[in-house]
Amino acid sequence: MGGLQKKKYERGSATNYITRNRARKKLMLSLPDFRRLCILKGIYPHEPKHKKKVNKGSTAPRTFYLLKDIRFLLHEPIVSKFREYKIFVRKLRRAYGKTEWSAVERLKENKPAYKLDHIVKERYPTFIDALRDIDDALCMGFLFSTFARTGKCHVQTIQLCRRLTVEWMNYVIASRALRKVFLSIKGIYYQAEVMGQLITWLVPYQFSHDHPTDVDYRVMATFTELYTTLLGFVNFRLYQSLNLVYPPKVSDSKSFKGKLSALSSSLARVVSSEEEEDAKLDEFPDEGEDMEKMEAREKEQKQLETQKKIFEGLKFFINREVPRESLAFVIRCFGGQVSWDKSVCIGSTYDVTDETITHQIVDRPNVDKQYMNRYYIQPQWVYDCVNAKIRLPVEDYFLGVNLPPHLSPFVEEKEGDYVPPEKLKIMALQRGEKLGMYQASQQDEEEEEEEEEEEDENEEEEDDEEEAEEKNLKKMEEQRSQGKSLQVKVTPGKVKVENPARLEQEEKAEEKRLAIMMMKKKEKYLYDKIMFGKKRKVREVNKLAAKRKAHDDAEKAKKKKARK
Amino acid sequence: MAARRRLKRVAASQSGFLSFKSPSDPTASVGSRRKRVNKNKKKNWNKYSDVNDVDEFLEDVRHQERTTGGLLSEKADDSLFFLDLGQPEKPQPQAETPQADEGRKRKGKASRPLRIDLILKPDSLVPPPKDILAYQQPNAKKLRRIAEKAERLAAKGVVPRKQKRLLNRRPIDRTVKKAVAEANNNPDRDYYDIWGQEPKVSADPWYLQQTGKKLVKRPAKLNEKPSVLPAVEVIAPGGSYNPDFFSHQALLQEAHQVEVQKKKQEDKLERQLAINKKDKATEETNLREQVEGLVEEENDDEELAPSKEDDEAALAAIAVTQKKSEKQIKKEKAEKFKEQQRLTSRRQTERQQQLFQLRSIKASIRQQEEKTKSKQMQRRIKQEAQKAQPRRLGKLKFQAPDLDVQLSDELAGSLRQLKPEGSILKDRFKSFQKRNLIEPRERAKFKRKLKVKYVEKRAFREIT
Repeated sequence: MGGLQKKKYERGSATNYITRNRARKKLMLSLPDFRRLCILKGIYPHEPKHKKKVNKGSTAPRTFYLLKDIRFLLHEPIVSKFREYKIFVRKLRRAYGKTEWSAVERLKENKPAYKLDHIVKERYPTFIDALRDIDDALCMGFLFSTFARTGKCHVQTIQLCRRLTVEWMNYVIASRALRKVFLSIKGIYYQAEVMGQLITWLVPYQFSHDHPTDVDYRVMATFTELYTTLLGFVNFRLYQSLNLVYPPKVSDSKSFKGKLSALSSSLARVVSSEEEEDAKLDEFPDEGEDMEKMEAREKEQKQLETQKKIFEGLKFFINREVPRESLAFVIRCFGGQVSWDKSVCIGSTYDVTDETITHQIVDRPNVDKQYMNRYYIQPQWVYDCVNAKIRLPVEDYFLGVNLPPHLSPFVEEKEGDYVPPEKLKIMALQRGEKLGMYQASQQDEEEEEEEEEEEDENEEEEDDEEEAEEKNLKKMEEQRSQGKSLQVKVTPGKVKVENPARLEQEEKAEEKRLAIMMMKKKEKYLYDKIMFGKKRKVREVNKLAAKRKAHDDAEKAKKKKARK
Repeated sequence: MAARRRLKRVAASQSGFLSFKSPSDPTASVGSRRKRVNKNKKKNWNKYSDVNDVDEFLEDVRHQERTTGGLLSEKADDSLFFLDLGQPEKPQPQAETPQADEGRKRKGKASRPLRIDLILKPDSLVPPPKDILAYQQPNAKKLRRIAEKAERLAAKGVVPRKQKRLLNRRPIDRTVKKAVAEANNNPDRDYYDIWGQEPKVSADPWYLQQTGKKLVKRPAKLNEKPSVLPAVEVIAPGGSYNPDFFSHQALLQEAHQVEVQKKKQEDKLERQLAINKKDKATEETNLREQVEGLVEEENDDEELAPSKEDDEAALAAIAVTQKKSEKQIKKEKAEKFKEQQRLTSRRQTERQQQLFQLRSIKASIRQQEEKTKSKQMQRRIKQEAQKAQPRRLGKLKFQAPDLDVQLSDELAGSLRQLKPEGSILKDRFKSFQKRNLIEPRERAKFKRKLKVKYVEKRAFREIT
């Protein structure tokens, strides 16, 4: 016993953390600079488990950092650059104040600048690491590239973001990596698969900015600074992987910078001969289960291949009221040719009058002059085709037609979930079922829906038959148990057709029933619970479907009334 | 000096030149006593000799030279005098047309120098002295000799030492400009394969370490993300620009729930802040307050009386606590001992009985274990859920942004008519906060240093 008295807060978690202000003082930086450094280096505040211990007995909310992180920051060469910049600003202000213009010139010439290359390398040691974190970079890039040049951020940053995002889009086009598109009320969500990584990004609609006041632009600009560097390096690597020239060039010889951003022409390659590599999945003769998986994978691969080519051979023309960039990007990603009016943007490859145009994308109630040999469709068709992975029938998307809902491709329904009928239809189309001839008239559509329902009902009917038989048997048994003599009647016998598949099913069902009977009480309880949950789900789904039907009926009635 | 000498000479040859003695005369005539001065010192020459007449004369000579370009006495008579022949005949101006005359007039006006220039023009006829140094070269002879020598050596092919040293100096690479630091956001900056090549370390690692220039390896722990949330959270299917009816309704429901929750909290706050109705002043309470102390209340005395009795009772209670007798103490001790014995024996029997309860004990232990296990599970699940939650990183808590929703009548029929909802910038900013990358902050509020003083303007005051 005895010994020196242990002092409080000199060991344990109190020494592992450091408050923001102390960290700032340790690094000799101002708060904005400190914040910048932390963002660039990827060092984030940390919430300690025992705040009171860390905060030396006080419970005041504070921002804490791990001490080791801050120690790591001390070695960063950029810190000295920040200080240099601070001094530069001071000198410049002084020169301005004294109206020494030559000094101002000289200072501006020697403005200190720094690079983030080493930080990118340090934070993302491998290319895949960088690719995993590219979502944020893309979002910020696309966001900043749509900013107006109003002094909210540097014009140069906007230009750099624009350049990088255009490069990215061109890469996605060249590699045909786009998978999903979702037009939301916020912006357009895209998802691409690059080198096995699913990358999602959000692009704002054009001209949709009001600058919110509660966003710290400095912080956002710092993030963008890092992400532009990252995105540039990633772009370089991706271009290299496709044998494309970086910085990208349009493949026709006489072209200039703006044409790249038009997204209408293909890129120049390092190796001019384009060799189509048909990389087939390696097949390993293996056991049954693996084979099944392999088959599934192969099927998926095939589907992907077809998805990549859904617009191949089609020639689109984009009207001026349609968002050009997004559509051009999506169409080109799936192999279509695209053009627009010359006055909309440079890079248009053919005119409206071109006879070979197959689809013209229009977003207005009617068009004055229509060509016979092309479809006039609304832009949603393109996006829905991409999400459905097939070329959908164009009839639902004709001019002035009420569009079917644009479903989110990011929702994946589990078994037993409610699936909207539109999606069911698309799924049926994907399976290759043809639901009769599609026609534009509403009534036909209705009939189809009914047909569809009938199909569903057919499936149900079989179950009903079974139930009916069982009921009959039950009745007979009851009667027997009551001791009544059965009404005996001799009828000519029927040859019972034995359906082997059905027999098998029955056997399985019997086995299942037996297994349930043999369950322990505890397991039985759990099983009942699960089944109850499933049933509840089914009930909910049925409810939703019924609601939907009621809604649709009401709509139809309304329409009919309106027609009359 | 030479000029002066020449002038003296000229002065001597002049007929009107007075003898050298004359300057001493006026001093003699004015002063009664002549001051004696040693003339063997140069200082005194200057001080005590009157040179005014000489100066005057020289000034006159200079004046003559300036105005006429030489001494008048030396000039030829022809140049000084002329024969007066009366008025010369004037040329007649009427001969020329008025138009031509006007034109010439204008020309003349333009060509005539300004009066101010004429005034400022030097009127001296003495040419300005030549600056000899402008023509002469100091050390010309020496330089010429050196040049000749250099020429001779060059002809031989010998390079002078200075030049040789220059030639021997290491050539500066002029092609490499002083690296102008390129800004990080330069739109034309170039990128390279950063992951392909290992950065070459040029210097000695020991040197780098000692000078603090070595890059420190990043701890692997820093590459962990502070949250498991994805960078981009896709909006619910109801947020489509042309949504399916039910998903849209679901989203609306969700937004509605949020609003209801908010309203509830607001209401709660309002309830807590509400004034109690009993505390409100009524006429009755007002009246009572006004007559407070004026009307005497009778039951004051009655209240005082019982309080006295209470005091007496308390005093009595203190007096009662007396010392215990020895007998009593002994008795208590024995009772205590007995009680203890009873308890120990009971414990023993209980322990013996436990042998027969083994099964139930085991069951209870198992139960307890299960309980702890389930608790652990729950805790683990909670921890996992916590990872997706925004942490408390500063003064402010994270506040989830409002859901972006368009009501049924706000939905646009087509892409053209779509009005985007919400701001992506804000969405991104909130996403960073939600993923614990930055701490939530508030915009700094503007604080006024000095109080604002309102003064009624005079014009305004007149009206009111």
